[in-house]
Amino acid sequence: MKTLFSIALGILAAIGGYVDIGDLVFNTTAGATFGYQLLWAIVLGVGGIIVYAEMCGRVAAVSNRAVFDVVRERLGFAVGLVTLVGAELVSLLTLAAEVGGIALALELLFGHSYQLFIAVAVLGLALVLWAMPFEWIERVFGYGGLCLLVLVPAVFKLHPDWGEVAKGFAPHLETGNVPLYLYYVVGLVGAGMTPYEVYFYSSGGVEEEWTPKDLTTNRLNAIVGYCLGGILSFALLICAGALFLPRGISPELLGSVALVVQSPLGPIGLILMLVGIAFAVSGAAIDTAFSGAYNIAQFFGWEWGKYRHNAGAPRFTIAWIVMLVLAFAIVITGVNPIQVTEFAVIFSVVALPATYLPILLVANDRAYMGQYRNQRLSNLLGIFYLGVIVLVALAAIPLMIITNMGTQ
Amino acid sequence: MSRIDLALGILDHQLIDSQGRRCGKVDDLELDGLDVKAIVSGRSGWAGRGRLGRLTAWLARGPRAVLVPWDEVRAVDDAVRLRKTAGELRLGRGDDRARQLVERIPGSGL
Repeated sequence: MKTLFSIALGILAAIGGYVDIGDLVFNTTAGATFGYQLLWAIVLGVGGIIVYAEMCGRVAAVSNRAVFDVVRERLGFAVGLVTLVGAELVSLLTLAAEVGGIALALELLFGHSYQLFIAVAVLGLALVLWAMPFEWIERVFGYGGLCLLVLVPAVFKLHPDWGEVAKGFAPHLETGNVPLYLYYVVGLVGAGMTPYEVYFYSSGGVEEEWTPKDLTTNRLNAIVGYCLGGILSFALLICAGALFLPRGISPELLGSVALVVQSPLGPIGLILMLVGIAFAVSGAAIDTAFSGAYNIAQFFGWEWGKYRHNAGAPRFTIAWIVMLVLAFAIVITGVNPIQVTEFAVIFSVVALPATYLPILLVANDRAYMGQYRNQRLSNLLGIFYLGVIVLVALAAIPLMIITNMGTQ
Repeated sequence: MSRIDLALGILDHQLIDSQGRRCGKVDDLELDGLDVKAIVSGRSGWAGRGRLGRLTAWLARGPRAVLVPWDEVRAVDDAVRLRKTAGELRLGRGDDRARQLVERIPGSGL
């Protein structure tokens, strides 16, 4: 009973923690531009993250290795180093975007200046990372993010054309230009499968000292948590499609993202949505700051992990502090956080293959995994998604250039 | 010790000392014919790992490298486990130096 309870709590945290600034931006803009036509791309992304999160959680539970241990062992020093540099840049860019997102949400909630809230956000994050135990961090921000469930009643109140919604789950294109459509496919898949999620998820498994006994927890967390998290993405896209597309609004500000619930549900809906965004995006900021520290520590073999306490893993601690300082330096220049988000998502897509290939290899290795190695279904899905991310990675930058980051 | 595939089974794996502390990676190996004489961990280990490794070793600061004689290896399982502490083997000195810095901040034991 106790385990069932803790599994349920973990799943709730996973739902609240699913959405980050990348999902908010791409789901809303995709809905506003193409209506419900791109719902299938969310399904594709959710499926991919389930397959690879389950796999790397299993590798962590069985072999005590997190993603960058595996990257280093399988790709060697030189290729591993290139992967590391890419992963660190993408994590930093994502962190900067999330920090900007927190500041925007706070600005909309409380007034005052955006610049002030950037400082508040970074200091608050540093304090939480310094002082809160690992399990708490996950839970507090995951539960706070559940406020985003306000999107679900908002969908029903907006009375979307359900026939059109249903059609969106099959890939098709009725209107609009093809490169832009494909750019959003890349963005939605990329936002769903962002690499920091697997860095953090696998390192978290080691932090919580998972063993093969925790494999059920791992599977349920990945499948149920991410599926239900995906519902938030559906809801966001449907709201944007129902509200913005007919009126020709293109949501270039985070405020317009929050508007999708204000119109159907009024001010209380708006406040819940903004609180949900603040929590969910803060949680993602923590994940990315930690991811940057996990990756470099695992690559060079330093002591790491919140479970070692701050002074017990000193270079790891310094690494996440540096991540926060650099992110602050990026956002405080006044760059548009929405644009930083698009850059972060598109470039993270390019880093995906080198992250996921070593996981797939190790998950199949008898010496690492013994009886827990991949079964046929995991391999079929793993190879399918590897193909998808290679395609998406190749297409990402050309599409970004052709569409001028989704504006043409 | 049973036969281990050196390239996949040892190289780039985690070093863990007798007290369970992570203290570097197997960055390179010193071979004597077909026998492993020692594990190389740290900068000069990277230098043996291609052009990028040389560049990283050149850019990095700190001690050149540490040689861990193969006799100090207790077991090879999900990591390379050592018989002595990191301090005795002169491993993990980067973390030791960084610890002095982190310990100056209040709440470093949290």
